[in-house]
Amino acid sequence: MRSFPLQTTLTIGVLGLSLAAAHAVRPNLMGPEPDQAIALVDFDPARVPMIPMLRHEEPDPGTTVGSDLQSPLLDDGHGVLDHFYAALWGAEKGSSVVRVVHYGDSPTTADLITGDVRAMLQKRYGSAGHGFVLIAKPWAWYQHAGVELSASGWEIAPATQFQARDGMFGLGGVSFTGGTGAHSHIAFQDRRHTTFAVWFLRQPGGGVFTVEADGAPIGRMDTGGVSKMATRATFHAANGAAALDLRVEEGPVRIFGVSAERPGPGVIYDSLGLNGASITVLSRMFNADHWAAELRQRDPQLVIINYGTNEADFTAFIHKQYEGELREAIRRVRAALPDASILVMSPMDRGYRTGPEEIQTMPNIPVIVGIQRRVARDTGCGFFDTFDAMGGDGTMARWYAAQPRLVSGDFIHPTPQGGKLVAAIFAREIGFGLNRFKLRQMLLTSAKPAVR
Amino acid sequence: MQVGAGVYFVFVAAVFLLYWLSWAATGSRIVRLAVVLAANYLFCAHFGLFYVLLIPVCSTADFLVGLGLAHFQRPWLRRLLVGFSVALNVALLAASRHMGVLLKGWDWIFPLGVSFYTFQSLTYTIDLYRRDGEPTTSLLTYLTSASFFPTLQAGPITRLTDLVKQFTAAPALRREDGGRAFFLIGLGLLKKSLIADYLGQSLVNRVFDTPNLYSGVEALAAVYAYSLQLYFDFSGYTDIARGVGMLLGIKLPINFDHPYQSTNLTEFWRRWHITFSNWLREYLYFSLPGKRTKAMPYLNLVITMVLGGLWHGVTWTFAIWGLLHGVALAATHGFRSWRGRPKPVSGWKRAALIFATYQFVCLTWLFFRSGSLATAWAMLQRIGSLTAGFDNLSAPLLGVMLLAAAALFVSKQWYSRIAEGFARSPSYVHAMALFLVALALELLGGKGNAPFVYSRF
Repeated sequence: MRSFPLQTTLTIGVLGLSLAAAHAVRPNLMGPEPDQAIALVDFDPARVPMIPMLRHEEPDPGTTVGSDLQSPLLDDGHGVLDHFYAALWGAEKGSSVVRVVHYGDSPTTADLITGDVRAMLQKRYGSAGHGFVLIAKPWAWYQHAGVELSASGWEIAPATQFQARDGMFGLGGVSFTGGTGAHSHIAFQDRRHTTFAVWFLRQPGGGVFTVEADGAPIGRMDTGGVSKMATRATFHAANGAAALDLRVEEGPVRIFGVSAERPGPGVIYDSLGLNGASITVLSRMFNADHWAAELRQRDPQLVIINYGTNEADFTAFIHKQYEGELREAIRRVRAALPDASILVMSPMDRGYRTGPEEIQTMPNIPVIVGIQRRVARDTGCGFFDTFDAMGGDGTMARWYAAQPRLVSGDFIHPTPQGGKLVAAIFAREIGFGLNRFKLRQMLLTSAKPAVR
Repeated sequence: MQVGAGVYFVFVAAVFLLYWLSWAATGSRIVRLAVVLAANYLFCAHFGLFYVLLIPVCSTADFLVGLGLAHFQRPWLRRLLVGFSVALNVALLAASRHMGVLLKGWDWIFPLGVSFYTFQSLTYTIDLYRRDGEPTTSLLTYLTSASFFPTLQAGPITRLTDLVKQFTAAPALRREDGGRAFFLIGLGLLKKSLIADYLGQSLVNRVFDTPNLYSGVEALAAVYAYSLQLYFDFSGYTDIARGVGMLLGIKLPINFDHPYQSTNLTEFWRRWHITFSNWLREYLYFSLPGKRTKAMPYLNLVITMVLGGLWHGVTWTFAIWGLLHGVALAATHGFRSWRGRPKPVSGWKRAALIFATYQFVCLTWLFFRSGSLATAWAMLQRIGSLTAGFDNLSAPLLGVMLLAAAALFVSKQWYSRIAEGFARSPSYVHAMALFLVALALELLGGKGNAPFVYSRF
């Protein structure tokens, strides 16, 4: 017998009407729309392939490489990075050590991008050691390429949590306070480090720590002092060492990190990542005098300021405050290091899901990039457009669909492959920048009148 | 047209109306089947117009093989025919996955995986070869069954002889059947959007993409969350597919039966992706040689599971997933033949066995989910680091995980009671319940659903 399921049809009808009514009252609620019916017979060839093959299109290298004289990705006009380029050229010629400090957020915390940049620059210009590293993991995912870290007994205060009310977080943004018995073991893949500096706070009632290199004692330091003063103690392992043990003999001791160096020439690249950080860490949370003293002790030729991803969640902050905070951070660095080059590095693209298989760029990201570019120009800083270097708007959708995947499922953090890609573009742009600098120097030299 | 999306349900509603109206108006099987066949090919066309040519051609070839198997009795000829069908479907399966490596300068694309189609097609010709089913002489019935749209993306893998029988019979849809269908669709949507997608986006995808950014505890939580995500995603898909099939008067087989309540791995595979494990057993394991020897059945089990793993993708991680399951299944069978079938256990012993089986399954999921061996190794290292960071384990995330874990242990009796109670309730209750589900998805679900995990296989 032929039957028509009237009641089930009525259910579907009532449901459709209910959804349509809800949609009419609250248009942001999903409801049946004519578009959906049209979509059933929409066979746009761009979306629905006729044949199971698509011509593979390689990106035009000319549009992204920026190999012409002025790069669209790295804005270093007016010689704003010349101090750094001069040092880098010196390293290339085998006459100097060049130090870079790179402040960033979560990818930097895991040494993503920075770890690859360090490796690439050191391969090209020589290595003068790993550089600065924290003495314990403030976050489980804190890591540096080529370094293994284990520690116990430390009270950890990152600048992002502002637990250390005095704002003294050292060069790396994290303060470690250890009682008697606190211990850190830092193992470097590179066994040729000969100089280790422990960055600590001299303070009234400060305790004592000892340092061992490959198991052999190389120093002991009393951190007591009449007032709080950030300083560092340098220890030497003449034959080179791979492992450093830091032990609190008598507490309390407040330490900010350890730097490991080896005879140059070459590059030292400090990756200073703070999880969840924004530009306000540099502009507000760091005690200005203390941070300036730390920067002067480190004496880098280039300071990289690489924030913006975490700010993207806060539209009002971006429009009202962000520019002021960025200018203040740059002012602080410039006040501490008047000669050093400063590079503002834009955030990566950041995506969010807008529909089935639809991932779009967060609208605030291009806004932040625009502000950073303008502020960098106004304040005599270099600017690297990471967002455009990756491919600009919609990159995260493409990177998420790539095989292997180049970005994590949060559409924020690059995978190691994605990080390497960004690092390669950045290192290449640095190389192009150095070449431009050399060219300018040669032109200047040839333009000088001959001395009789 | 993603299963579960708004457009999909507009499509289903349109097919439902046309199907039943054509049947009520004409009483013609041909018209009724033509509606479903048109719907099937419209569905396929949304993924690529080439499917509208590819699938009918391959289906017609299998249909002709079926006619041949029904007609010819000579063993060599029957072997030749079934061999042709196996070669055709395996070639289609392999080409859809790997032809791209041969095409320089071109991307080979199959947005709709054809593996579930090929598995279903093979059930027909192999069943007929084994004289284990009735052939159809109606090309229309065969084409309609072979490409039945609710099952195309990710099953459940249904024996085509069974589908053919259902499509041949006069359809009927009682109000209770409609209620059951709505219950399944609503439940499937809730499983997918509120649990699977939430867990995937909030933890699993991030951790597996960049394990080094997370603590050991978070990495471990991500593995457990993935076990829940996969179950709720895939069983959600199956519920929707079964519900849509039911609206057209077609009963599709169940695919999941409380798998995480299994006390051993053999039981797990009787409860997890049931139609796939049945397919592997019936059409692959039983086809392998050496059934009567002592060692070969164990080796065949391992081979079957490794091939089952490689079907998901030719990667080391899927191979290891299959190998771990194969070896563990062989060990379970070996232990049973040595000590005899274990007696049913209850209480703490049963809980311990369920716990141990679940831990092993989760270990294998770690390989299944990792895109590469490096990722799997990084995940194991993170878990082994025993670092305790909880920053990414928010209260809502833990709440959803606990809710999902609790839902796994809803007893069959309770489930049946709820489902039947809903099915028997008045039509307006069905409509209002689905309306509330839609609102819940809209208000609580994330923006935009991710594709179903198994739709890519």
